[in-house]
Amino acid sequence: MNYTTIITDVLVVGAGLAGERAAIEAASHGLDVIILSLVPPRRSHSTAAQGGCQAALGNCAMGEGDSTDIHFNDTVKGSDWGCDQDVARLFVETAPKAVRQMALWGVPWSRVVAGKKVLPDGREIEDKKEKEGLITARDFGGTAKWRTCYTADGTGHTLQYAVDSVVIRLGITVHDRTEAISIIHDGETCLGVVARCLRTGELRIYLAKSTVIATGGYGRLYGASTNAIINEGTGMSIALDTGIVPLGNMEAVQFHPTGMVPVWILITEGARGDGGYLLDKNLHRFMPDYEPVKKELASRDVVSRRMIQHIRKGLGVDSPYGPHLWLDIRHLGAKHINTNLREIKNICMNFNGIDPVKDLIPVRPTQHYSMGGVRTNIDGAAYGLKGLFSVGEAACWDLHGFNRLGGNSLAETIVSGWIVGRKVADYTRGAELNYSYSLVQGFARKQQERIDKLISGLTGRENVYEIRREMEQTLMDYVAIFRNGPDLQKAVDKFQELHRRSQKIGLRSGGKWANPELTAALRLPGMLRLALCISYGALTRTESRGSHAREDYPKRDDVNWLKRTLAYWKEGADLPELRYEPVKITELPPGDRGYGESSASAAGGNKAN
Amino acid sequence: MQAHKLVTRNPRAELYYDLVELLTGVMLVGFLWTHMIFVATILLGIDVFDALSRALDDYYLSYTGIPIIILVFIMHVLTAGRRIPTRYQEQKVIWRHAKMLGGTDTWIWVFQVITGAAIFALASIHMWTVITGWPIRAVTSADRMHAFWWFYLVLLLLGEYHAGFGIYRQFVKWGWFPRKPLGYVTKMITAIILTLGLAALWVMYKLGGAV
Amino acid sequence: MNKQRKFSIFRYNPNTPEIKPFMQEYVLEEVPGMTIFVALNKIREDLDPSLMFDFVCRAAICGSCAMVINGKPRLACKTLTSDLKGTITLMPLPVFRLIGDLSVDTGTWFRQLSLKTEAWIHSEKKFDPEAVEDRMDNRIALEIYEAERCIECGCCIAGCVTANIREDFLGAAGINRVARFMVDPRDERTPKQYFDVIGSDEGAFGCMGLMACDDNCPMQLPLQSQLAFVRRKMLAYGLWGK
Ligand SMILES: Cc1cc2nc3c(=O)[nH]c(=O)nc-3n(C[C@H](O)[C@H](O)[C@H](O)COP(=O)(O)OP(=O)(O)OC[C@H]3O[C@@H](n4cnc5c(N)ncnc54)[C@H](O)[C@@H]3O)c2cc1C
Ligand code: HEM
Ligand code: HEM
Ligand code: SF4
Ligand code: F3S
Ligand code: FES
Repeated sequence: MNYTTIITDVLVVGAGLAGERAAIEAASHGLDVIILSLVPPRRSHSTAAQGGCQAALGNCAMGEGDSTDIHFNDTVKGSDWGCDQDVARLFVETAPKAVRQMALWGVPWSRVVAGKKVLPDGREIEDKKEKEGLITARDFGGTAKWRTCYTADGTGHTLQYAVDSVVIRLGITVHDRTEAISIIHDGETCLGVVARCLRTGELRIYLAKSTVIATGGYGRLYGASTNAIINEGTGMSIALDTGIVPLGNMEAVQFHPTGMVPVWILITEGARGDGGYLLDKNLHRFMPDYEPVKKELASRDVVSRRMIQHIRKGLGVDSPYGPHLWLDIRHLGAKHINTNLREIKNICMNFNGIDPVKDLIPVRPTQHYSMGGVRTNIDGAAYGLKGLFSVGEAACWDLHGFNRLGGNSLAETIVSGWIVGRKVADYTRGAELNYSYSLVQGFARKQQERIDKLISGLTGRENVYEIRREMEQTLMDYVAIFRNGPDLQKAVDKFQELHRRSQKIGLRSGGKWANPELTAALRLPGMLRLALCISYGALTRTESRGSHAREDYPKRDDVNWLKRTLAYWKEGADLPELRYEPVKITELPPGDRGYGESSASAAGGNKAN
Repeated sequence: MQAHKLVTRNPRAELYYDLVELLTGVMLVGFLWTHMIFVATILLGIDVFDALSRALDDYYLSYTGIPIIILVFIMHVLTAGRRIPTRYQEQKVIWRHAKMLGGTDTWIWVFQVITGAAIFALASIHMWTVITGWPIRAVTSADRMHAFWWFYLVLLLLGEYHAGFGIYRQFVKWGWFPRKPLGYVTKMITAIILTLGLAALWVMYKLGGAV
Repeated sequence: MNKQRKFSIFRYNPNTPEIKPFMQEYVLEEVPGMTIFVALNKIREDLDPSLMFDFVCRAAICGSCAMVINGKPRLACKTLTSDLKGTITLMPLPVFRLIGDLSVDTGTWFRQLSLKTEAWIHSEKKFDPEAVEDRMDNRIALEIYEAERCIECGCCIAGCVTANIREDFLGAAGINRVARFMVDPRDERTPKQYFDVIGSDEGAFGCMGLMACDDNCPMQLPLQSQLAFVRRKMLAYGLWGK
């Protein structure tokens, strides 16, 4: 059998903000670009980001005096020194330019309106006349200045639409409803991907001089996640399956403090940024007890942990979906809620039947962001294979280390898309596509065999959805906010069992065409390998850093663990192989996070300052 | 688009159609409502009705007005009528669609088309009888309305419905006012005009019987 | 005990045209807070793994999941089953190409729309990375955003009779999209350029004011006023050249 083969210069897998931004850069250097995506680009998960995008413009009153240096410090501290500082520096310097470029491309950024305002906590501020009409910013957790640029409540939406409009203007080919299911390579160079058409089920071969993985996060491995349901980490897992390309820091998983119970839809940080409170079952505002300075606006991992800590003290509100806490924004007033926080209001009304103008919102920390991903260097080039790149949430570029700052990931998509896109173009112009026909066909045939086996039903009778539910639950139970050795071991054992069982899935429907059960069955084993990378990496990392909080090792341990985990998967293995590399520290030596738990518990520990 | 079409097409044709549809619609509604008020002068007595009719004749308003209205009427039929789907397939889609998905305003439009077609027939007959039985005097009118009261009743209801919702639709399309209050106002006006019309019809019917 | 709910769902796979479209029934226990999203996934996982439908964000943000629910085009993810009476009937959106069962290809349609309306900022300005951004009044930014909120779900298209009979009609979403650029000071298109795009029955004048779009838009975009705004703009250009 011969498969349809499509050849291009640059193949971008993923049409979210990062993928499209990189594609634009490559295309504007005169290259032929094809983008693959599970869904039409404008449905990508990036559109769901409401809060905003960080860039040190310093236009609004509370952002005055902001600079890229301060942004750099916030980012590195936020990452708990887990990031690469040369990347962070490059990022903060480029972010303001990227944001302004987006303004030119059509993003209707909210602007500075001059005049005096009173903040919810009573402080009076004044936006100056000379700044009127420039891009404004709001407050976000973990930042020293108001730096988060936004468009009302639809930052991700307007960014994605603007970027996609440029993709359309440039006439870049997009094949939506197409899923990359395997990376084609010869052990040295990446040659493209095998993809499955989600309209017809057909397999196709895409060959390219360079391939960019921009497939977003893996949030949906977890049972409660704010992520879109297509965020299943498939891009990372096909990279891992090469056996040569490592995933970085997979154990670094961010939880968002305010997922709405029980649908786990995110209530944006804007709610707290604009002055919302967290209350317990006695309607007591508890955050100031733990974090007197930053209160509700401490870094995400800190707030999430405090919430779980508070719930464990028995102060959570009981519900059929487990205990939760309250988010209170009633004091912000109907006018503010109906304009600036309209989306939050709609979400509450539509998915819970409650009105945040009058009612409290039930919230609980929920999986939110994956710091880990395809490990790349500062140019976005993946370790291990030439011609393979990665950007956005799918990548471990490593800007975020062990904890991403809110607003830094949207900024990352447009910054790294831009920078890496140019590097991709440079590489591609000097590259040639040399491949052996039989090698390429072999990769497709291997996928075809998997599919045929699943359809034949001869390998076993395991139910794909049951295994999946067990995986989701195990991650939630044992690999969530607070972690410890015994639980993580349980999780690793469980995932190994599930991984074995996932080889014996039997479909209950025909599996023909774009059958959704087949789609799920094809993804599941890879997802379990990711789950193993996460849990095994977490088990091995015997310290607490950023979002990785070990109850049995509560302190950050810079002597032994100031390094990045790299997870490899050898074919046929049942555990990832972990290696480590040092993090790059160029400017800011490891120190106190200032407002995180690690600071409190690590006092007297091995801190430089 | 095909080359021939592209070359011969007047880029503004569709704008002009739409504009004519708007203007003729509004003029017809204006006419109909004035018309109903004129007919309703019968409520004030035969003399008033006749005096008005005579005055209109004396100042030649009838002689200029009637041809203009007929012209407007025809233009309206042509421009508004172009919206009526002619292909069977399209009509099937519309019915299926209206039944399955139809919002209120879709139904309003469906009835707009149906009432429009009915009015086209009825109003033509009506105009023909009135003009051939010139001049307009209360007695003759009352006789006609006594004999054909059902005809007038139907025309009144259809005409009012069509005019009321027609003007609502135009305002909605051109957006001078928001939809909800607009619907309310047009319904009010329609109700007033209908009451006047019905009362006049009743009086005329009685008058006609008496002679 | 929770209530049992009956679902009647459209089934058809264009790859197997020999099997004619039909309605299939499923019965499900209604749990509190159940949305059509929850229900359909339950049906797929427990009753019929072949059922095709689309969800992405499950939060009414991405526009993937529009379908005809008890006769109305709506977002399935933000429709609570408890708000529906009797049997819940689910049909795919009309107008768009059917991929299978409840799944339709809105993506291709909307990309076409963007191409036809050239839905991007037309500007000669070169990007200067060192320069401060151009100023914009926040009021205008919000006005642009108001129209930009469209999530391309297709509810307005599916509910519109005109769009159902005229293949080339851009629909409310298309006209709204043009309105978004008209109010944007960064877009340098002249009234004539806009007129060429939508000053015809494909655009502004094809709309018959049926307002199903206005009724059905899940984002509650002010479509009536947007359509009217564009119509008046077209008139202004057509008559007075501006
Ligand atoms: C609810 C929510 C709110 C958020 N709010 C903010 C915020 O306010 N500020 C902020 O900075 N960040 C925020 N984030 C994070 C941010 O939105 C994401 O990190 C970012 O948008 C990721 O962009 P991306 O381009 O990397 O991936 P995505 O936007 O997720 O795009 C992934 C793309 O890859 C495609 N794809 C995936 N797998 C495959 C495959 N196998 N084959 C082909 N295509 C594939 C998908 O179709 C999609 O097009 C938020 C995240 C969530 C969950
Ligand atoms: C006294 C007579 C009439 C009056 C006052 C009148 C008034 C109106 C008005 C105001 C409209 C609204 C325009 C619109 O919706 O776009 C309209 C629409 C319409 N009229 Fe009439 N009309 C009359 C007679 C007729 C006749 C005789 C026909 C016969 C075909 C007709 C057919 C239509 C149709 C089909 C529409 C709908 C057009 C559309 O939706 O675009 N009308 N009419
Ligand atoms: C061309 C012009 C018209 C003239 C001169 C005219 C004249 C008249 C006159 C004299 C009457 C009184 C009854 C009679 O004499 O038959 C009448 C009644 C009526 N006309 Fe017309 N008419 C005209 C057009 C129309 C049109 C276009 C409509 C349609 C929609 C219409 C609807 C009616 C109705 C409904 C009545 C009955 C009024 C009532 O119930 O009180 N007329 N018209
Ligand atoms: S205008 Fe409204 S209904 Fe139409 S596509 Fe946009 S969001 Fe959906
Ligand atoms: S439903 Fe259709 S006809 Fe116009 S008003 Fe809306 S686009
Ligand atoms: S799934 Fe995104 S809008 Fe419903």
